[in-house]
Amino acid sequence: MNTEAVSARVKSILVQPWGFWWLQMRRLVRIELRRNLFSRKAAWIYFLAFIPTAVILIHVLHDTHPASGLSLDTNVLAGIVQFYYIRLGVFFGCLGIFSRLVRGEMIERSLHFYLLSPVRREILLLAKFAAGSISALLLFGSAVIAAFAFLYAAYGTAGLDYVFHGPGLGQLGAYLLIVTLGCLGYGAVFLLLSMMFRNPMPAAMLVMGWEAINPVLPSLLQKISVASYLRHLMPITVPGEGVFALLTVETEPVAGWVACLGLLTLIVIVLAYSCFRIRRLEIRYTTE
Amino acid sequence: MSVYRHEYRAYTGKLTPLWTRVRVVARYALGEAWSSRITVGLFTFSMLPVVVYLIGIFLANNALARVLVMQGNGVLEVNSGYFLRVLSTQCWFAVVMTAWIAPRLVSFDLADNALPILLSHPISRFRFVLGKFIALFLCLSLVTWVPGLLLFAYQGYSCSKPWMGANLRIVTGLLLGALLWIGFLSMLGLALSSWVKWRTVAIGVIFAAVFVPAGVGGIITAILRTRWGYLLNLPVMMTQLWQRFLGAPPTMRDDMRLPTSAIALVLATVCLICVAMLNARIRAREVVRG
Repeated sequence: MNTEAVSARVKSILVQPWGFWWLQMRRLVRIELRRNLFSRKAAWIYFLAFIPTAVILIHVLHDTHPASGLSLDTNVLAGIVQFYYIRLGVFFGCLGIFSRLVRGEMIERSLHFYLLSPVRREILLLAKFAAGSISALLLFGSAVIAAFAFLYAAYGTAGLDYVFHGPGLGQLGAYLLIVTLGCLGYGAVFLLLSMMFRNPMPAAMLVMGWEAINPVLPSLLQKISVASYLRHLMPITVPGEGVFALLTVETEPVAGWVACLGLLTLIVIVLAYSCFRIRRLEIRYTTE
Repeated sequence: MSVYRHEYRAYTGKLTPLWTRVRVVARYALGEAWSSRITVGLFTFSMLPVVVYLIGIFLANNALARVLVMQGNGVLEVNSGYFLRVLSTQCWFAVVMTAWIAPRLVSFDLADNALPILLSHPISRFRFVLGKFIALFLCLSLVTWVPGLLLFAYQGYSCSKPWMGANLRIVTGLLLGALLWIGFLSMLGLALSSWVKWRTVAIGVIFAAVFVPAGVGGIITAILRTRWGYLLNLPVMMTQLWQRFLGAPPTMRDDMRLPTSAIALVLATVCLICVAMLNARIRAREVVRG
């Protein structure tokens, strides 16, 4: 009986119009990508993503690069990823991209067009999430790659040696993984917040405060944070300065795959709850 | 409908003094700011550190309480460093208050195309902005220099030695530092809110305007090995300024400290940009799309 129920369930899943849903999703992603990447309103996200690259480019063109400076610049790049991209760039970038996907459409009074079209709401939400993630990944991923390439290209042979025969490529892979997981993690959280609250900004600022004080919290509470998982993936850890360095609670080092799995689980849970929420989403434009 | 009565004349009665017109805008802006429960909640929350600092002053001046609470361990000294911490804490709460209140004062008027109606009243654009500025400035005063001065007065009252006269630099520094900061924040908050149509977005933009340049400044300092990157870092810049105002010991290395003139120049430049932004946006025009 139990086996029959399971097989019936599997059969019902298989007969769903997956191809049609995939087609709808692709179309929605294309529309959203165009709005996220090629609109005038998206210019500030380019600024957020590429400003460190621009500073590094100035450094490459302006300063001299003795081989002794390689380790210092490597630490600086790690600091840029750890403190700028994760805490500020990816955070505010994802806040802008993902809170606009649903709440922005409500403010612009255009979400009802989507909701009235024959598309499942879960497909709509997942397509929007996919489009936001692709936009954020394209921008921040390419910014990290460009910053990395500029920084080590300036050192000539020593830089190439560090990248191709040393730990360089591994570090680049780790940075890209961190940025990817950061975009997905913050994206999922902000997408949910934008559906839960009429004004998601106070909640987002609380998330920012939570992420900022997270290193000084007990290890159990540190697990409820995107940045704490990403910290374990850093190839080079740059210690905090000032009073935060004294208060920082050192947690047990976590294996990379555990950190990835932990964060992916968090993302799946948040997305599943978002799908549940969007089923019951009602628009009252008069209160927006 | 044809107008056939030509008996209209300019008003010749008593005019309201100019300064009271600003007061009307400020009064309504204050009402708008405090109509939100979140504003009240933020204000209450921002008073919690003041209570902690108050207890600190009480302990510092009461030997018996110090023995009972701290069991004789540690020395609690109320000096310029203590009031620097008070000022820093309260000024960062002021950023949160600005991010919440400033968009409420401006974005609603802009989003609802209300500016043409408001500016058709006998009030100039300057006085309209001044009214909003005064409202925001007063709100921020309540969380910055007002509690700071109260703490200073309490320390002067509870200290057994003549303390106030010997530490006048602390109170002038505290007042000057707080006034400068909240004036700057008010300008920044109003200017950014006037450029962002939606209040929701404006809150995030104000936070980003404070913290993202700080990150960029940090990158410039680290990559280009120069202290001038800190000129984009408002937290570092203001902390250095407050230290000098209060006469507190510096926390940064000598080669990383910024000249006061450079800090003043940056603050003045940002304020001028804010004035230009407000001048461009606060106009009696209506945007119609479609």
